[in-house]
Amino acid sequence: MLRRNMTAFPLVLVLVSSSAQAAEKPPPDVPPCPSGQEKPDIAALVRRTQQMLEGASSVATMSMSIRTKAWSRKLKMKVWTRGRDYALIRVLEGGPRETGLMTLKREKQLWNYLPQAGRVMKLPSGMMGDSWMGSDFTNDDLVKGSSLADDYDAKVLEILRREASEAWRVELTPKKDAAVVWGRVELVVDRKTCLPLEQVFFDEDGKQARRMAFGDFKRVGWRDFPARMVVTPADSARETAVVYEEIEFDTPVADDTFSLRRLEAGR
Amino acid sequence: MLRLAWRNLWRNPRRTLVTLSALVLGTGAIVGLHSYSETAYGELNRILTTQFVGHLQVHGRGWQADPELGNTVRNPVAVETTLADRLPGATSTRRVLGSGLAGTRASSAGVAVLGLEPDRDPLLSVVRGAALDGTSPRQIAVGTGVAEMLEVEPGAELVLVGQAADGSVANDRYTVRAVVDAGSGEMNGSAVFLRIADAQEFFGLGDGVHQIVVRLPTREEDVSGPVAALRSALDVATLEALGWSEIMPEFKGMIDEKRKGSQWIDIVVFVIAALGVFNAMTMATFERTREFGVMASVGTRRSRILGLVVTEALLQGAIGFALGAGIATALVLGAGSIHIGGLTQGMDVMGIRLPTVLELHLQPSALRNAAVVSLLTVLAGGLLPALRASRLQPAEATRSV
Repeated sequence: MLRRNMTAFPLVLVLVSSSAQAAEKPPPDVPPCPSGQEKPDIAALVRRTQQMLEGASSVATMSMSIRTKAWSRKLKMKVWTRGRDYALIRVLEGGPRETGLMTLKREKQLWNYLPQAGRVMKLPSGMMGDSWMGSDFTNDDLVKGSSLADDYDAKVLEILRREASEAWRVELTPKKDAAVVWGRVELVVDRKTCLPLEQVFFDEDGKQARRMAFGDFKRVGWRDFPARMVVTPADSARETAVVYEEIEFDTPVADDTFSLRRLEAGR
Repeated sequence: MLRLAWRNLWRNPRRTLVTLSALVLGTGAIVGLHSYSETAYGELNRILTTQFVGHLQVHGRGWQADPELGNTVRNPVAVETTLADRLPGATSTRRVLGSGLAGTRASSAGVAVLGLEPDRDPLLSVVRGAALDGTSPRQIAVGTGVAEMLEVEPGAELVLVGQAADGSVANDRYTVRAVVDAGSGEMNGSAVFLRIADAQEFFGLGDGVHQIVVRLPTREEDVSGPVAALRSALDVATLEALGWSEIMPEFKGMIDEKRKGSQWIDIVVFVIAALGVFNAMTMATFERTREFGVMASVGTRRSRILGLVVTEALLQGAIGFALGAGIATALVLGAGSIHIGGLTQGMDVMGIRLPTVLELHLQPSALRNAAVVSLLTVLAGGLLPALRASRLQPAEATRSV
């Protein structure tokens, strides 16, 4: 179920409702969908896709299901983000040792709060590409560390023609000095609606590492947001699916959400 | 004939001494080098089998090829009972092997997490702090390199996080009890050690263990007999029993490779010594052409002349071997043990710390090789001149000077 936030604070309520007025129309800085064009402005298309998937801030509740040949498990969690520098993930429901687990990102650093240990552990730098808590999502996926529009150069590889629709296959190669996790990313975007369909990630050696499929699009304000994302790694029989139960974009998130002291208190 | 051959040898003592010295050097080199290298291999094997790997191990079936966390020996007690029954005198210890992140508020690093029986497993030597004990829970020992990396010392707190066998997030808090040397730089730089019960709890394994490490009361390298005996008694549908050479095939391969290399050295030594012997004996038969002619003309049979020259060669071979082996044995035993710490500098080969002191032993295989080489040398060097001597025409031969 998706719903917009109705916060108790009147001021925020005003802000939210004022933005709700214009909610059905994308803000002016979002490039329009270049429907059907043969040679679209590809940088604009990628920026549009990214703005579709992310806001200046967000608060989301989601469930994550991981399935491997040995086990499967399900976590329910809440994620707060602000820009690319701040994010917090909190496990609301999971196994007895993981409920209450938190991951905090502040600028370039990551910490985990481990509920059984009752302690915070700083993660080594360079862990953005590592698995988040044994899932097929990376830390980078969850805390939105890198930007498709800012960190990659894009070009259209081809137009894929499927039964009922057509899509652009866009290749994204990391810009020099961009702190990204992947060697190359391919993005498939529907040619009529501009909805992202899937992303394929390649490692430094050009080998396909994993595929992320988007589905179950829901209207959230002006956005058509994929409420279901499924990641399948290329080399093993496993899968992680995330289903967004609620998501709000561009809502204010309190400063101390991302405080290390608060993380250490386990709250 | 032996006496005749013996006397002939000392008719030209200088030449005989030249031949002998070639043989002595050859034999000595082979015995010495083999004793040294076999001692070194034996020592590496001892380190391997007594410490990390053991002589053989029992795992859940397929674990060696694909060490999945959930693939365990579920009933270690039953395996241990079988062990005591089939391999009397063997000792065994249980281990759990997983991985995770170890860290503090300030830093963390990826580590191997090894659960072991601290009272029975000889793997760890304490550098600082006190040894893990089998009873106090939530104690952890860290390798010297890990201690340095995370800046922890005995008494400090260390948090571990990893993935349990059911996929859930394992995490817990431990007190560092010791900084340890686990026998190799690789382990010291990447591993932390828990009491096995703590590791089983951390990874959610119940009573399951990943390895049962078995040590046999032997210095034999070949453990295929005990492995087969154990296999026949275990439930191989769920378990596997592997000898150290199957667990570390690269290590076995390296030693085999080096042994092959030293066989080539034997061949080179053999060729050099054989050339010397051949040269000396050819000269000797040339000089004695007249003598052989006389022998033939007074009715000595060809086979007897052939026998005489071959006997001379064999005599030299025997003396050369005895002297060479004697000198090499004296050197090896006299040296006793040699310090090679300056050479090895605590270096590891495939995760095995090179020894700093080698207790030299005379290797029977070295003596055997040297004997074979001496025999071949004198036969190769002596046979041709002997044949030549036996085929001389008496009339012509008596005329030569």
